[in-house]
Amino acid sequence: MNKQKSELSRTKIFSAIKNAKPTVTMDVKTIQQEAFELLKESEFARPKLLSEDATQALVLRIEAGLVIGTSCEKISTLDDLPNSVNQFFDKHSLPQEIKVQGIDKLEKLDWEGISTDSDIENDNTVGLCWAEYGVAETGSFVVHSSPKMPILLNFLPLYLIAVIPKSKILHYMDDYALIANEIAKKGETPRNMCLISGVSGTTDIEGVLVQGAHGPEVLHIIIVEDQ
Amino acid sequence: MSQKITNAGRTQPNTIECLNISEKKVGLFVTCLVNTMRPSIGFASITLLEQAGCTVEVPELQSCCGQPAFNSGDDEGTRQIAYQTIKQFENFDYVVLPSGSCAAMIKKNFIEVFKDQPEWLARAKHLASITHELLSFLVDVCNFEPRGIELDGSFTYHDSCSGYRSLHVYEQPRKMLSKVKGLDHKPLNSHSECCGFGGTFCVKYSDISNEIVAEKVKNILATEADYLLGGDMGCLMNIAGKLNREGHKEIKALHTAEVLAGLAPQILGGKDAS
Amino acid sequence: MQVNKPEDFTKNVSKALAQPDLKKIIRRTTDKAETKRTEAVANFPEFENARSQGQKVKDHTIKYMDHYLAEFEKNALAQGTIVHWASTGEEASKIVLDICRQHKAKKVTRSKSMLGEEIGLTHAFDNSEMERIETDLAEHIIQLAGDPPSHIVWPAMHRSREDVVKLFREFHEDPTYSEEITDLVRSARRDLRNKFLTSDIGISGSNFLLADSGSSCTVTNEGNAELTITPPKVHIVTAGIEKLVPSMAHAVPLLRLLTRSATGAEITQYITFHNGSKRPNDADGPQECHIVLVDNGRTKMLAEGMEEMLRCIRCGACMNHCVVYKHIGGHAYGSVYPGPMGSVLTPHLDSLEVANKQTHACTMNGRCEEVCPVNIPLPKLLRSLRAQSWQKKYEPLTNRFVVQSFAELAKRPRLFQLLSSCGVIFMKVFSRKGWIKYMPFTSGWTRNRDLIEPGSTTFMHQYKKMKKAKSGGA
Repeated sequence: MNKQKSELSRTKIFSAIKNAKPTVTMDVKTIQQEAFELLKESEFARPKLLSEDATQALVLRIEAGLVIGTSCEKISTLDDLPNSVNQFFDKHSLPQEIKVQGIDKLEKLDWEGISTDSDIENDNTVGLCWAEYGVAETGSFVVHSSPKMPILLNFLPLYLIAVIPKSKILHYMDDYALIANEIAKKGETPRNMCLISGVSGTTDIEGVLVQGAHGPEVLHIIIVEDQ
Repeated sequence: MSQKITNAGRTQPNTIECLNISEKKVGLFVTCLVNTMRPSIGFASITLLEQAGCTVEVPELQSCCGQPAFNSGDDEGTRQIAYQTIKQFENFDYVVLPSGSCAAMIKKNFIEVFKDQPEWLARAKHLASITHELLSFLVDVCNFEPRGIELDGSFTYHDSCSGYRSLHVYEQPRKMLSKVKGLDHKPLNSHSECCGFGGTFCVKYSDISNEIVAEKVKNILATEADYLLGGDMGCLMNIAGKLNREGHKEIKALHTAEVLAGLAPQILGGKDAS
Repeated sequence: MQVNKPEDFTKNVSKALAQPDLKKIIRRTTDKAETKRTEAVANFPEFENARSQGQKVKDHTIKYMDHYLAEFEKNALAQGTIVHWASTGEEASKIVLDICRQHKAKKVTRSKSMLGEEIGLTHAFDNSEMERIETDLAEHIIQLAGDPPSHIVWPAMHRSREDVVKLFREFHEDPTYSEEITDLVRSARRDLRNKFLTSDIGISGSNFLLADSGSSCTVTNEGNAELTITPPKVHIVTAGIEKLVPSMAHAVPLLRLLTRSATGAEITQYITFHNGSKRPNDADGPQECHIVLVDNGRTKMLAEGMEEMLRCIRCGACMNHCVVYKHIGGHAYGSVYPGPMGSVLTPHLDSLEVANKQTHACTMNGRCEEVCPVNIPLPKLLRSLRAQSWQKKYEPLTNRFVVQSFAELAKRPRLFQLLSSCGVIFMKVFSRKGWIKYMPFTSGWTRNRDLIEPGSTTFMHQYKKMKKAKSGGA
């Protein structure tokens, strides 16, 4: 019954569009060409980055305070990560508990006494995730859902650390869109692609910015140079 | 003719025209508010245009630009008014109005009501191409600079929305006023925010309009200027009317043309400027 | 709170103007948004190029809307998304409720979308056996208060901190007793956390629908969309058909424009693309994904030459910069969509007959068009709705009479001049010391301001006299 109704509405909508715009070509090639041409304008329609080097631009953006609630540091190898995490605990006076994303290169690190399997719903835990990409233009890290990437890991903890491999830092959002397109061509599009640029914030009460509305209040980005 | 049509749109300085300006015949569209409420603006316009080297003529068969009908959605009424405005003014080299909103009406809106009448559309486009707001015309086309005008005190400037947004009138009046001896500029906070006049809006939604103009008045008083200047009689009437209702006699509203033509002392002295 | 109706606009306005603090409350939000937007645009010298590109992307998609809708549907189906079509808001609401009922849902979480409000989804749930939980903080506040939204970006901007304190104390399980805004936000965080995790269905809107992948994109600062969508078994997207863009790359310029225009931030914290249901073995995510594509007046706008309005990306800049909105606030419009964009949209969602007064509540100052990130000529569209109202005779008779009489005179210049002269004489009767405080037929003006005294005679009269004297003298 509902299905029929939906079909009927579908037909109605399509015929209404056709009636409103009767002269429009349906030559797919022409449409695709026009759509492609539009993207050429992006080069002149996006902001200048703070540096020509994407990593540097991302770092400068965060250091300039342009990414809400976010700090960053660079480490030369992944082995330095537990040490950086420890410093993060100290800085925020947190218990040494962290929920590490369940991927080999993170799990096999020497976490020295840090508890790495904690409850992500607990506001005192720190989440640690591996970002697929970084985007300098917006100060974002990008995560893709997968069997080893629960999307909620990025949203439930009050403290979040995102590790971005230096080689995966892109200049612009457009560059990420190209990559997403390549992934789609391979038929490997994940359920979720999240561009995260700062912490969960709200200005809904009297316009005052509060961090940690539903998700993280503090975000720390660690760029790993040899990755 | 065809070239004039392609020139429709923004007023731009044109050096060739500047040189030949004296040969140009200007038709002055006085506008209804100036005609009834403040004739001195019309005479100030003639004075300034003549000083700028133009030959000015005021066609007697003129009425209203048609905004009340247009903004009420009465397209047929607008067309009826536009027909005779086009006939009266299309043969001038330039048509000048001492009002941003009436000039914008002719420059931008006439073509909206002639979409289905190609012949009139072409004539409306031609009229649009030769029509100018007074203050921008004096600077951009005539390269005019006022000389020997003095007025002691300070002024603040309200940019009328049509002049500012549709016709890009901003620098021109300020530039000319900077040549008036003894007159200082006190910038107005939210100078380009609407005063709440809006033609029929101010009587239709009088109470909303009142809130808006009250805020404008607050900003104007904060400048502590002696004069409120502007280029549109509608806005000036609205703001001056509110100032007077609130008992603020210390600040006088004048049209920029009145000041530039040296009529301010006479008007402030209470004499009819004609 | 009693919900205002669009047809009661004049009454709603009086009510709004009588609220002493309303203006202050509105300005707290709009002034900040205005300042921050100005800064954001100043820091982005390519803004005009972006705006032109954004407009072209939307125009292109609108031009080929049927092509892109079909492409979107095909790709969404290929991802395993179930696609539904709804001609009206009522149909769309019913589809959503039916899906929830099929899954025997008890609790439904919803991430703010104006379309949800437009199709009456909130109301539909309130009349059902299911519990609706709004997860956007502002929507959470107005749900507790029982208010309609007053702004499309800050729906609870009309509520003060004191109001929120009261509401949270009354409704939260573990409320804060502090009046600090940070503590209030924490109180909502505690209250909503468990609700996110135990919800049966997550409903979201969509800022962009990507035709080439069948994806929907959500944009939030709070991250509530992802928390709404990820834990439940089922995700339902409701989206207007105008949300389409060809691809993710085409959404990018619009993302650059959206946040800068809305809040003045360069980007929102969370931009997420949702591509169907959970993949096998995924760590989390919904098992089933539905999308409801809604017309509800949009094809009518296309047919009636209002397609420029379909560019709208719901940033709210037009209302933040509108002198009328700033004084009367969102509720006066009696519609989900207030301000300039609302005054154009509402006549198509409800009808012009009930919502024509809003189209006249505009001074045609052009500020909204000036700040619109996709160059929608809002004053022109409002004017064309006025023209429709005029033709359909929705205008009150007295207004019609006045405007028509004026036009009749104006097309007869001789008579017009004559009556102008009479008008001057008439006005002189009422003027004292250069001002008219009261005069018959002008109460709209003199109720709030004085009228300056007219010239001694009309300009034309004086001019003719002067010319005669000159020629006589010569």
